[in-house]
Amino acid sequence: MNSAAVPAPDAVPDERVYKHGRVPGNTGIWVGIFCVLVEFLLLFGVYFIAKAHHREAFLTGPDKLATVAGVTITLLLLTSGYCMVKAVETIRADRRRATFGWVVAAILLGIGYPLVKFFEIRWNVAHGIDGEAGIFYTTYYYLTLNHLVHVSWGLMGLLWVAARTAMGMYSSKDYSGLEAAAVYWHTTDVIWLVIFPFFYVLR
Amino acid sequence: MGHAEKIWLTLVGLTAAGAWLAETGHSSWLLAFVVAGLIAFKGRMVIDHYMEMTSANTRIRRVLHLFATLVPVLVLLSHGWSDVLRRLTTIN
Repeated sequence: MNSAAVPAPDAVPDERVYKHGRVPGNTGIWVGIFCVLVEFLLLFGVYFIAKAHHREAFLTGPDKLATVAGVTITLLLLTSGYCMVKAVETIRADRRRATFGWVVAAILLGIGYPLVKFFEIRWNVAHGIDGEAGIFYTTYYYLTLNHLVHVSWGLMGLLWVAARTAMGMYSSKDYSGLEAAAVYWHTTDVIWLVIFPFFYVLR
Repeated sequence: MGHAEKIWLTLVGLTAAGAWLAETGHSSWLLAFVVAGLIAFKGRMVIDHYMEMTSANTRIRRVLHLFATLVPVLVLLSHGWSDVLRRLTTIN
């Protein structure tokens, strides 16, 4: 979505335009997003420290994980995020049916994440990779399951937004709730784009 | 093809490149640099284009850009100076 798709400042509610520019969604969601970013920065710190103390475990650890699961989750999240971009784009044009369709598509793709995770963990456990398999896998479960919790919150937000969209509660004049859910959803994307290489690519 | 579609395709392509790298299984400065670059570039794409930060509040934009810059830098620092990090985080 390019900047041209963003309505002029006078077309959005006054409370969302501040001295330093437009606030996508609402200010409340950004408090939550900044808390999530700080939380994951701390968790990444745990990863870096564990890696510094256990080089060998982090060198061989990724070999036993199913890369296909990590790649599938990445593609599901990126595509789901794309659907939310289209949802915001279509509500700006007051195409509410299309918006509903894009939000539902985002939810369906997003639900694929916990499903893939379920099968990935089953596969892991069958191959002896549980929480006690070593420091690399403990850190892997710690970060990925934490991320899954945040994705679950995002999915609940998207379900709420889908229901409100179906009830016709968003329009080109007022879609801050939908946009707030979208930016939170994209934040889970950004964090996964860090977690994926940490456990499946980096040695 | 619209702008959002181009961004999505680029992100998918870079993910495929990451998957290919995962299969090489080597630990090197090159891999660390490539991974740090992928995190920074993909992160900025989602932040700037999906989250529309190019036209958003400058303070919010700066925080998100800082996140997408800081993490790759930490990846490189932890790769090259893991001994220092280990020493700093060892309780005697």
